[in-house]
Amino acid sequence: MDTRATGPVLELNKAVPSFDESGLPPVPFSMRLMPGDCAVVEARDASRTTIFADMCSGLVPLTDGSVKFMGLDWNELHDRETNALRGRIGRMTRRQSWADFLGTHMGIMLQQLHHTTRDMEDVVAEATRLSEWFGLPGLPVLRPTMLSDGDLLRAACVRAFMGRPRLLLLEDPLEASSADLEAAFLGALTTARDKGAGVIWLVRNNAVWQGYRQGITSMWRLADDGLVAVRTG
Amino acid sequence: MSSDEIVDPTFQHDVSIRRVLLHLVLPLLALVLGILAVVLIGVHSYRTTRAGVQSLTHELLGAVQHYIGQEVSDYIMPAAAGNIIAAGMIGHVPAAVQDRVFYSYGGAMLRSVPQIQSFYLADDEGHFTLITRRKDGKNQERTTLQVRNGHKVFHHDYYTDDGEKIGEADDDAKDYDPRNRPWYQNTENSNEIKWTQPYLFATDKQFVMTSSMRFKAQDGHTLVFATNISLNELSGFLDKIKVGKTGNAIILDSKGRVMAGRHLMQQAEAAGWDPNKMVLNPKTHPVFARGFDHYRVRGVGAHSFALNGKRYVTIASLLPNSSEGWILLLSAPESDFSSFAEQSSRQSLQFAGIIIVFSIVLAGLLIRQVRRSERSDRRLEAQANQISREVSAVQQVAVTPRLFELSNDSLVLTEQLAHMAQARRASIWRFLHDGSAMICEDSYDLKQDTHSGGFEMSRTEMEAFFQAIEEGEAFTVARAASDPRTAQFERLVMREVGTRELSVHPVHNAEGIVGALVLEDASMAEHLVYFVDLVGSITGVRLASIYNRSAEQPDAQSTADAMHQALQQAASLPATRFDNMLMRAPQMGGVSASGIYPAVAVLVITFSDPVVDGSAETAQLLALIDHLATEVQRIALERHLFAVEVAGHRLICMAGCTAEEDPTALIRMADAALTMRETFMAALSASNLEPVFTMGLDYGAAFGGAVGEEPKVFNLWGQTVSVAELMAQGASDAGTIQVTERVYTELRDRYLFRSRGAFFAPHLGLARAYILAARR
Repeated sequence: MDTRATGPVLELNKAVPSFDESGLPPVPFSMRLMPGDCAVVEARDASRTTIFADMCSGLVPLTDGSVKFMGLDWNELHDRETNALRGRIGRMTRRQSWADFLGTHMGIMLQQLHHTTRDMEDVVAEATRLSEWFGLPGLPVLRPTMLSDGDLLRAACVRAFMGRPRLLLLEDPLEASSADLEAAFLGALTTARDKGAGVIWLVRNNAVWQGYRQGITSMWRLADDGLVAVRTG
Repeated sequence: MSSDEIVDPTFQHDVSIRRVLLHLVLPLLALVLGILAVVLIGVHSYRTTRAGVQSLTHELLGAVQHYIGQEVSDYIMPAAAGNIIAAGMIGHVPAAVQDRVFYSYGGAMLRSVPQIQSFYLADDEGHFTLITRRKDGKNQERTTLQVRNGHKVFHHDYYTDDGEKIGEADDDAKDYDPRNRPWYQNTENSNEIKWTQPYLFATDKQFVMTSSMRFKAQDGHTLVFATNISLNELSGFLDKIKVGKTGNAIILDSKGRVMAGRHLMQQAEAAGWDPNKMVLNPKTHPVFARGFDHYRVRGVGAHSFALNGKRYVTIASLLPNSSEGWILLLSAPESDFSSFAEQSSRQSLQFAGIIIVFSIVLAGLLIRQVRRSERSDRRLEAQANQISREVSAVQQVAVTPRLFELSNDSLVLTEQLAHMAQARRASIWRFLHDGSAMICEDSYDLKQDTHSGGFEMSRTEMEAFFQAIEEGEAFTVARAASDPRTAQFERLVMREVGTRELSVHPVHNAEGIVGALVLEDASMAEHLVYFVDLVGSITGVRLASIYNRSAEQPDAQSTADAMHQALQQAASLPATRFDNMLMRAPQMGGVSASGIYPAVAVLVITFSDPVVDGSAETAQLLALIDHLATEVQRIALERHLFAVEVAGHRLICMAGCTAEEDPTALIRMADAALTMRETFMAALSASNLEPVFTMGLDYGAAFGGAVGEEPKVFNLWGQTVSVAELMAQGASDAGTIQVTERVYTELRDRYLFRSRGAFFAPHLGLARAYILAARR
């Protein structure tokens, strides 16, 4: 349990994304996500959602302000540190993100194998456990293109929750998914939050997260004029 | 931070390096550079001074040498120039007055020039005339070589300086012939002035040298005029001359024989009055000997050399107007001239030393100052960290749902309190409405990570402690056992975990003091800025909501007693049912055909699938399973459980299947669960197997009944059963008993629990799960 990690997990401090390179409106974005927080960000535009998640991962150049993850400014770090830091982010994205020359299992485990010194067996065991948790019969070893959309979504869930993510950037995982995935997803989400992860749940409509209403700590809307806080409850 | 990360992005080393560079290396470097500059300047100034002093020394020595040369020349001049004058005078007078001219010239010279000893005049016929001073140095003596009676005699006439004759004498001249004397012979075929080797008169200790000159008289005879000049006076003069402070001068001839110099007579005596042996002795005159060597190699001029660790300068020059090859050698230690320079160098070195010491002190002060400011920076940073930790702890507290409702156990309060204060144990106590007792709402043990609560302390037991809380002031006791206020509390509560320090923060609300926060062994308690107050206020609000409730009847009996009582109460229950594999003859007494039971305790035990190969192992495993099943039967009977079902790898135990709520059911079930766990552990480890089971326990409403044809099978359904199954499946480690929040609420004053955190369960939403650790 180290929910007592000090300071916010993610802090957008008047970060102005470069419009040319991101397509996001060049207005200041401000947001603070503490460990264990779950922020729902509503956005109609799917590509903008992805770019916003990129910005949180330090992938979008800023013209002003700063984006800090675990107190570290993305812009002030060297490549080595930046990459290591991204290893602490669990992400589900709508963008094509599976390498098709590898089996899905490798795609799932690659992050842990690359960034940590954990035993292969240990990682496999965790991946298998999570796969079962998310309703797969086991760790999928087929290539990603061979999996059905539903199973690929489950695999994406497994990949996002692998290891101990400090930040989860989840782009609408529950859309067009079966109800059993919802229960597993919310269970995994709660466990991760309990271990101190901050969650940004990017949704397209607010119906999906209603079942988890009591667990949401803040609610935002990604609009043309930036990030707008929405009253909850 | 997870330790298995390959690159730790939070590790930032450049800051500390820069800090060390800025705070330590830079001042030290500046100091070293300063010292180096001072030393370099000192060395440079010493060198230039020394070079200046050296050239000055040489110039000075040159001047001295010039002066001595002049003096020596002046000293010898009467002998050299006098010869020419006398020769001219005598050569141009008739032979009859030659003697008179000689005497008058010689007399005048002897009276006025002290270094002149005597004059000779000889001719080619063997005539010889001499004029000299008397031995007393006042009167004059005129000597002529005469032949009397066929014998050569010296006839001496004595005159006063005024020319008055005062006596005469003769002595035998033996076969003296002036023409055989060296001063006569060395003028052969020359009309230049010639010098003889110096010779010593041992009798009157005179070191004399003769200069002679040949000329023609009017009558055609060849005459030789000679002047004897004493070098003693020259030595006396050289003796008096000081070169520098301790240096002196010496005159040598080209063969290194001493002509004049200090202590000439001693040298002459040592040489046995032989001028040829009066050479420079390196033992007695090491500096001159070395200087002469330098002259012989390098010629005239100034030469510096070191001798016995001391530097000397010598200057050699040829003397003008003197016998050929005479050398004037001056020597002096360099220090005589450069001592002031050395002194000034030493002084500047001392100044440099003082400056260096000052700079070191200043640098030390600077470093000290920097380190102090750094330390205070660190302290500020630590304080800022503490504040941010508190903020994050507050955040954790704030996100807890239903924080202010007492029905919801806000375990986060004690957990965060214990973490923030680094306390061994943090607990929240509340007074009963009449103040007669205190009940522990929640107690969190940081070391074991377990929660407990529900126990009670009555006022009669610890009046002093109650009064101390009711005073309303927070207090900290370093040794709880020795303080009268807390001695009883220490004995009853703290001694079991071995804590010593106690800090108590009373909880206030509108009703006054309603309870207290108690921290044991809290090392950080004094650094907490506001967190304790905040938790106190939250607790105050929480307690206010129930404070008006009617007096509660705390169950003060111990777990063992309760168990005993529960068993006694359960004695009237129907005998345990063993269905399916553990089925016995169906006994349906007391059970309605189907019905709803309001409070059923359900324990689900799941076993992981055993891996077997070979029939021998299978047989062994079956024997073990049989053993375990028998044990379960035994325990179930002992605890009066309602039924035990076996389904696949699951074992479902239930208690409390009565129409009325049975308060003992859960206690019996929990006790059975712990006993089964111990039994299973023992049996599995005896067979050298890992604990391959997990247990889940829930308590709540369920429905069930006997189904099927005879023999009917009893079955139970409902959320309680499925949640218990979920608990068993989701247990963190093998061999643990995971329970729901409801079980925890019911049992926390009898058992120790460990919080596992919040979980999301389908149809249930967010809920907490606990691990049942042990009996209290």
